[in-house]
Amino acid sequence: MIKQDIKSLEERSIYIMREAKSNFKNVAALWSMGKDSTTMLALARKAFHGKVPFPVIHIDNGIDFPETYQFRDDLAKKWKLDLIVGNSIIKPEMSGYACCGANKTVALKKILKEYGFDALIVSIRRDEHGIRAKERVFSPRNKDFKWNYKNQAAELWDNYSSNDDSDGHIRVHPLLDWNEVDIWNYIKKEKVPMNPLYFSRDGYRYRSLGCTHCTTPVKSKAKNLDQIIKELEATDTEERAGRDQDKEKAYVMEKLRALGYL
Amino acid sequence: MIVNRVTLLGNKDHGKSTLIGSLLISTGSVSEQRINDAKKTSKKLGRQFEPGYILDSFQEERENEMTIDTTRAQVKYKDTGFEFIDVPGHEELMKNMLSGASYADFALLIVSAKKDEGITEQTKRHLFVAKLMGINRIIVAVNKLDTVGYGKDRFDEIKTGITDYLQRIGFDAESISFVPVSAYNSENLVRRSKSMKWYKGNSLIDTLVELSHSRKRSNGKELLILLQGTSEDDRKSVFGKVLSGELRKGERIKILPDGKEADVKQIFVSGRKRSKATFGNVVTLELNREIGNGVKGSVACTNTKACRVESSADALFFDTRPLKGRLSIKMNSVEIPCRKVVIDRTVDIATGNIKNNGSIKPLQAAYIRLTFPRDIAFEDFEKIPELGRFVLYSDKKFAGIGVIKDQSR
Repeated sequence: MIKQDIKSLEERSIYIMREAKSNFKNVAALWSMGKDSTTMLALARKAFHGKVPFPVIHIDNGIDFPETYQFRDDLAKKWKLDLIVGNSIIKPEMSGYACCGANKTVALKKILKEYGFDALIVSIRRDEHGIRAKERVFSPRNKDFKWNYKNQAAELWDNYSSNDDSDGHIRVHPLLDWNEVDIWNYIKKEKVPMNPLYFSRDGYRYRSLGCTHCTTPVKSKAKNLDQIIKELEATDTEERAGRDQDKEKAYVMEKLRALGYL
Repeated sequence: MIVNRVTLLGNKDHGKSTLIGSLLISTGSVSEQRINDAKKTSKKLGRQFEPGYILDSFQEERENEMTIDTTRAQVKYKDTGFEFIDVPGHEELMKNMLSGASYADFALLIVSAKKDEGITEQTKRHLFVAKLMGINRIIVAVNKLDTVGYGKDRFDEIKTGITDYLQRIGFDAESISFVPVSAYNSENLVRRSKSMKWYKGNSLIDTLVELSHSRKRSNGKELLILLQGTSEDDRKSVFGKVLSGELRKGERIKILPDGKEADVKQIFVSGRKRSKATFGNVVTLELNREIGNGVKGSVACTNTKACRVESSADALFFDTRPLKGRLSIKMNSVEIPCRKVVIDRTVDIATGNIKNNGSIKPLQAAYIRLTFPRDIAFEDFEKIPELGRFVLYSDKKFAGIGVIKDQSR
C-alpha cells in the first residue's frame, strides 16, 4: 500500500468540501464514527475555520459497539457537532445485503426527506473496493437513491458538476484519493481522536468498523498509531476482510451501491 | 510519496486494462484476494484468466469485456509511485475517458500490433485530446507482439506511424519512448522479454520511472488565488486556492473581475495560521472588510495584469455531442452562460490539418470564440492551466472540453 503525500491529499479534500458547501443549499455529512468519516470531520474543521459547518448524520441500527456510542457522544460535544441520529430497525436474522442495502437506506431516505438535504458528504475511498474505485467525486443518486453507474456524468479537473435533474441528491466524496494508510498517517499527524476499537486488545483489532452483526476483528498486535501504520505497509489482506463476506463478494457491492449503500 | 498519475490511452481492445492488471500482478501491487476474485470470474465466464478484471469491476464490464468507466490503481516500483488511470477506449464513452485523463501527469498510449488492429482514428483521437489537455509527456507501448511472432517490422511500422502523427499535432516526438510488449504475457512490462532480443531499451516500468524524473511544474511569479466562497460565520473571511505566486500577511489584494480591494489581515493555510501562502495551498483569508457574496469563481491578485479580464475568449475545443440550445461553460468552478459560440476553424483529428469551416460534429475539434454576457477573469491555458480550461454544456448536458488559447498573442 502506497503512503501518499498527505499534505496534497489534505489540500484536495478541503477544496472539495468547500466546493460542496458553496455548490449546494443544504449539505450534510454521514458519520459512522469510523476512522474515515472522523478524519473527514477533522478536515472539515480545517476547511471551514475550525467548525464543521454542516449537520452530521449517524444512521443508528442500535447494534453498534458500546465504544462507538461513547466515542460519538464525546466527540460531538468536544467539536460542537450538529448531530442527527436516524434510527433504523434491526431484526436478529438480518445481516449484509438485507441490513445495509434496505434497512439503513430506508432510515437515511427518511432523514433526507425530513431535512431536505441536497448533498451528502460520504467518506468512501477508492482503495477500499474495485466498485468504489469507479466513483466520481460528485456522484448523483436519484430519488430512489439509485446510482446510475453505467452512465456517470463527466468530471474533469476540479470542475465538479452539480448539474443533475434526477430529483435526488449528490454524494460528495472528499476522501476518494486517500489510501487506508494515509488516513492513519493523518490521524497521527493531526492527533485526530479515534475509536479505541481500532487498537489491538488480546491480539485482535478492528481494521474496518461496522456494526456488531457484520464486523469481526482481525489478528493484530498493533496497539498504537505507529504500529498500525507499520502493519498496513506490510499487509497483503484486504481492509474489509473483517466485514461480512457476502457484502464484498462478486457483484453484491455493485448492487448495494446502486441501491444507495454507503 | 509523490504519486505520478499516468493515464492510459488507446483504442478499445488494444489492451489497456489488461496491461494495468498485468503490471499490478507483476509488481506485487494487488492482494491475492483480488487476483483470485478475477480468476474466479474468468472461470465462471468460461474464459482464460483476464488480468483486466482486476480493474473492470462492474458485472457489465466483465461480461462484455469492455471498460465502461474510468478507474485507478496504484503501483510502487523502485521507490517511485504510480497511479494508473484506466479509461474506456470506445468512442461513445469519450466523456468517461476525458474524466479519467484530466487527472494525469503523463500518458501511456497502447497500440495493438495484432493484424487488422494497429493505429486507428481513435488512437489518434486519444493522443489529440491528451495534447489538448496539456499532457506533454507520453510513452508508447506497442502491445500484442506475441500475435505477430514478436516481429520488429510491425513494431517499427507502428513507431513510424505514431511519430509521424505526433509531429503533425505539435509534439516533440524525438523524446518519446516506444516499448514492445505483450501485456497478457507480462513481457517487457517489468522484466525484459527473451522473445524480443532485437529490443535494446528499458522495460515499460523502467521507462516510466525515467519519465517520472523529468521536469515538474514550477511556481509562477504573479499571485493568483481562485476564490471558492465566503465563510458563513465571518463574512470578512474568504476561502480559496493559490494557483500561482505568493501572498504575505498585510498585503492588499484585488478581486477580479469586480476590482474590489481588501487588506489581508490573517492567512490560514489548510486551517493553520501562517504569515504567507504559496502555490498549491488552500487558504482562508481574513480581510479587513466584507467583499460581499458571489466571490466564487473570482480571482484574487496583487497585480491586476496577472490574468485577463474580458468578455470573450478564443479556445481549442473538443466536441462530444451536437451543440444546440443553451450553451454554458464551467470554468473556475462556476457555470458561466455563453452568449455566443462561433466556430472559427475546424481541425481534422486524423491528419491534424486545419480547415476554414463553420460547423463541428461530435468527436471533432475546432478553434472557437466564446462570448460571455459579462467580463470574467481567466488566463491562457499554457500559462495558468486552472484558469484556462473549461467544460462546455449544451442544455446542461456535457458537450465537450476546451482550453483557452489566444490566437492574436
